[in-house]
Amino acid sequence: MSAESEKFWSTARRQLAAVFRKEVRQTIRDKRVMVLLIVAPLVQTVIFGFAVDFDVDRVPTVLVDQDRSDQSRLHARRLLADQTLRFAGQVGGIPEAEQDLDDGKAAAALIFTPGLASDLASQRPAEVQVLLDGSDPNRAMVASGAVSRYFGEVGERLIRERLEAAGRPAPAQVVLVPRVLYNPRLKSAPYIVPGIAGTLLVIVTTLVTAMGLAREREMGTMEQVMVTPIRPLWLLIGKLLPFLVIGIFDVLLLVAVGSWLFEVPLRGSLLVGAVGVLLYLFSTLGVGLLISTLSQNQQQAFLGGFIFMMPAILLSGVMTPIRGMPGWLQAITWLNPVRHFAEVMRGVLLRGAGFTDLWFQLACLAALGVGVMALAVARFRTQLG
Amino acid sequence: MTARVGPAIVVRDLTRRFGTFVAVDRVSFEVEQGEIFGYLGANGAGKSTTIRMLIGLLAPTSGQATVAGHDVATAPGRVKESIGYMSQKFSLYLDLPVEENLLFFGAAYGLEGTALRARAAELLERVGLDAQHEATTGDLPGGQRQRLALACALLHRPGLVFLDEPTAGVDPVARRAFWDLIRELARGGTTVFVTTHYLDEAEYCRRIGLMVDGKLVALDTPAGLKRTWVPDRVLVARGRGLAEAGPRLGGAPGVRAVAPFGAGLHLRVDPERFDAARVAAALREAGAEAVEVEEAAPTLEDVFLAVVDRDAGGAP
Repeated sequence: MSAESEKFWSTARRQLAAVFRKEVRQTIRDKRVMVLLIVAPLVQTVIFGFAVDFDVDRVPTVLVDQDRSDQSRLHARRLLADQTLRFAGQVGGIPEAEQDLDDGKAAAALIFTPGLASDLASQRPAEVQVLLDGSDPNRAMVASGAVSRYFGEVGERLIRERLEAAGRPAPAQVVLVPRVLYNPRLKSAPYIVPGIAGTLLVIVTTLVTAMGLAREREMGTMEQVMVTPIRPLWLLIGKLLPFLVIGIFDVLLLVAVGSWLFEVPLRGSLLVGAVGVLLYLFSTLGVGLLISTLSQNQQQAFLGGFIFMMPAILLSGVMTPIRGMPGWLQAITWLNPVRHFAEVMRGVLLRGAGFTDLWFQLACLAALGVGVMALAVARFRTQLG
Repeated sequence: MTARVGPAIVVRDLTRRFGTFVAVDRVSFEVEQGEIFGYLGANGAGKSTTIRMLIGLLAPTSGQATVAGHDVATAPGRVKESIGYMSQKFSLYLDLPVEENLLFFGAAYGLEGTALRARAAELLERVGLDAQHEATTGDLPGGQRQRLALACALLHRPGLVFLDEPTAGVDPVARRAFWDLIRELARGGTTVFVTTHYLDEAEYCRRIGLMVDGKLVALDTPAGLKRTWVPDRVLVARGRGLAEAGPRLGGAPGVRAVAPFGAGLHLRVDPERFDAARVAAALREAGAEAVEVEEAAPTLEDVFLAVVDRDAGGAP
């Protein structure tokens, strides 16, 4: 190496180290930022992990038993012993049950009309009524499904008993034996937590980067730095690197908390996950940088960050399934790094997917990351050059 | 290497346009090694735009500028290595301790290790902040901040420093202390290019350039500017009834300007026609009482007003 280029690289190293060190110092000294970077992701993962629960169970159900027979008591006990419905008290009549639904004390009411036992015994059609609170359609469907499944089985058993009593063979049964792969208990948390990691990293990296650079511009420190012989590229790398490190730290934290609190498995290769995280952070940091080049001050950067974040999270498939979106909106989600990252994380953590399964998502992340970062760096350099 | 021969700054027809607005209009001047060069003008006259071009932050629209031997258009990197700059707005990291700011900017200039620490300590002592080196920068009062900013601009021992309104918003005692530092710097051989709109400060400069609406309209030593621009005799009158008597005198032949000055009057008169005694007599005649008139030395403020007057349409 010539003396000239040796001097260049040693100066570059000093400048890069100085920016990195300064950025870390500022971050550590700012308690609010530290909370945003470390504590908030932790708290949000825990809250989301517990709160975002698509599993419907323990639907509060009131019982109106006007039959008052051994039969009706038996059916009520069996039906409510299932985890899907939860006994929320017994009332005398339908108006009281409706009142409980109105008050939100119950989401379903199970009504046995008089004559249920005798109808069943005398082979007349028997009727069981269910009142449902339809304001949460998903829950109403699950509750009604549980009731009809139960009475379906009851009916089937009655047929079998009668056929056997008449000395005729019972018909062959079709038994469904589901075997669920990857998330055998169909819990929401293992599905949700990897997605949450993606949305939290947007907050931590995009927002903090955009605001950090906008603050330098607002305070005039950017100008003071640009008067030194520091190169814009070193400045940029030195400023982004600490947030890359914090982003990686946050991912590790979330995966640890996820597996400890929510039994999120870790089936895949950490290498695939790490590649995914790095490519993803490349695009979120790039978006942050791009927003900062479009902002004059911190307020604008904050707003810009939100304008990006809201649709990015909503169109990521983390909160709502992408398949439920109209076609044109589904097409847009291909441009959303959060979507690809959530798929990579779920693939690696839940399915043990490798490069061969996830190459497409990783390629999308790489293309988006390089594209956004190149655009942002170009804008940043022309602004300062 | 930094060229130490020849002028520190050479500017030829330097021009900067923003759209149709001409912020700096064909400005030419030279700054010699080791001098304190003052750059004066009203807000918006083009002072900061000129500085931003000279330090490589803003490309000139046309014209040429050589700073510390390097062309600002072709070698802005070399220019940045050779100069120190203190901006108009305080722009160090307020959330970092004093010493961290010095260490960061020192490293930005390529200093490192014990050499950097020693240089930072030396400068802190020189600007009188050695006791505050651990204080958070944002907690310092204005005057101390300015001294810290100066220290940051001097870390790499530049031969030339640009100070853009370094004392704006600072109290008079702190301003005086700051100017002591600037003069000490110049005595050590550093060239200082300073903008200000405190005209009393401009007296410290060896030479002064005056900007009006983007044009450099005057350039000379303070004494030279006064001779050229204020050839009149400047008199200060005190007494009773001057507020009424003054304007009556205003139209008389040989009286060039009459302006209230505190409780008294500030007059500029033709030295051929008037002296202190004759002005006193004229004021008494116009109705004033207990009149005392003294000759005053013209100030840069008189120069500034004369220049702006001329530019507004009057003759010098």
